[in-house]
Amino acid sequence: MLLALLMCYAGFTALCLSTDRHHDELLHCKPTPTRRLALRVGGWLLLAVSIWPAVLGAGWGQGLVEWCAVLMLSALLLVLLLPYRPRLALILAGLGLLASPVAAFALS
Amino acid sequence: MKEGFRQAMAWLHTWAGLIFGWLLFAIFLTGTLAYFKDEITHWMQPEVQARESKGGEFFYRFHFQLQMPYPWGRWLSTIAAMVMFVALITGIITHKKIFKDFFTFRPRKGQRSWLDGHNAVGVLVLPFHLMITYSSLVIFMSMVMPAPIVASYGDDSRAFFNELFPNTNNAPALGQPGQLLPLLPLYQQAREQWAGGHVGRVAVNNPGDANASVNVFRAGSDSVVHASGSTLSFNGTTGELLRGSAEPSLATAIGGSFYGLHMGHFAGPVLRWLYFICGLAGTAMIGTGLVIWLGKRQLKHAKAAVMPFELRLVEVLNIASMSGLMIAIAAFFWANRLLPVSFAARSDWEVQAFFIAWGLSLLHALLRRGRQGWVEQLSFGALLFAAIPLLNAITTAHHLGVSVPNGDWAMAGFDLTCLASGMFLAWAAWKMHHRTAPQPKAERARGLTLKQQAH
Repeated sequence: MLLALLMCYAGFTALCLSTDRHHDELLHCKPTPTRRLALRVGGWLLLAVSIWPAVLGAGWGQGLVEWCAVLMLSALLLVLLLPYRPRLALILAGLGLLASPVAAFALS
Repeated sequence: MKEGFRQAMAWLHTWAGLIFGWLLFAIFLTGTLAYFKDEITHWMQPEVQARESKGGEFFYRFHFQLQMPYPWGRWLSTIAAMVMFVALITGIITHKKIFKDFFTFRPRKGQRSWLDGHNAVGVLVLPFHLMITYSSLVIFMSMVMPAPIVASYGDDSRAFFNELFPNTNNAPALGQPGQLLPLLPLYQQAREQWAGGHVGRVAVNNPGDANASVNVFRAGSDSVVHASGSTLSFNGTTGELLRGSAEPSLATAIGGSFYGLHMGHFAGPVLRWLYFICGLAGTAMIGTGLVIWLGKRQLKHAKAAVMPFELRLVEVLNIASMSGLMIAIAAFFWANRLLPVSFAARSDWEVQAFFIAWGLSLLHALLRRGRQGWVEQLSFGALLFAAIPLLNAITTAHHLGVSVPNGDWAMAGFDLTCLASGMFLAWAAWKMHHRTAPQPKAERARGLTLKQQAH
């Protein structure tokens, strides 16, 4: 479940950064069209692929339930962190991405 | 035309949400607590059974029976579930910018922040809200939609339940004595049938009778799909397998999976915490909705000395249904520790304490002016919750200094969660105390222009 959580959180952060308003708030500039597209594709990919570790860890029934729970709560965490600790929100996403290969290694 | 439709939906969302909001807040909060009903029971009965107490079962029962005689509580909670479903759908329709505002939460902006918060907990946790509300309708489907049952089974609704819940259809007692077989072989036979699945419960009907039967129920933790059919029934005197678990039909499997998803019996500790957080998010969604309803209308009367009666009524009910319920829950736990262990009817008195505290908080909300009522009740609730670990340490030998080293995480988790709840309520009270009074829009605009002129 940990790997799915890391991927979902990073995915939502990427999707969040792909909007002009949030990119401006967090990084103080508007994203270039290429970057916007990259963030959007990357975000959706991360969200979609995160099903895999959830299902691999717990089977289809339980795995999908865990994935849904992790999906909802990672978005909630991000949205609640953004106005209060915007830097921490971004750092967490980066750390999550860095740690996910380790988590994937532990899973396999 | 399209705007007209959206306005109609907004109207429905506003009023359905208000009328049932108070009840739904209580249903959601107690239902959320019910995810930890075994842990709550463990805390409330530290000496194992010696202390008579309803434990977490009280919250579970209240969640859908509302402490009313059968079947009225179930009816009311089912109607509330239907209204909740309507409020969710109309809320989605009313919300204009679901995707554009997906990541938006702007705190410290008064009414704007409440609406942002309401939308955030509503939209981000929407799959949970839809699942929990729809599944509650599935669970009570025989009450919500009896027509298909009547059409297929006529007046014999018993036949429907026998077919859906075969374990309730057992042979009646013959009145002749019989010798009950040892249960262990039946238990093992059941586990073999389920390929190593776990046994949740064993029930013996008519023990000592020639027609005794033994039902072995599969544990809910085995699968997300709650299969009421996966019960083995044995003849208690001969050991003959009377009824095996048939492969469930697709409809039963879908119904069973909604049941299983709602209850969350299959969930391990981590997933149960996630369920708990989702439940809290649902409770927060309802609470913020109630606050928004009042806040919008209060702005118009900010200058008047007295609020109109209907707004005052909503305010009193808001305070009593939210902070009052918190106090009532804390009072229930306090009563558990303070009532003597040998006290007669003590489990009833725990429940009495819950309702007395709730009633008193309603009285208090009536007597105090709005914001003072909030601040005082939230502070009192904070005190009650934060002191629970201390109370536990004084009255039992299971305080945090013992439960943590022993690895009794159910006990320690309860104490720590109470402490966290106390801190949250204290934060809420502090925020409420330091909140700037709501200003009407014109006033605020004038304030701004004055400031600009000063520059």
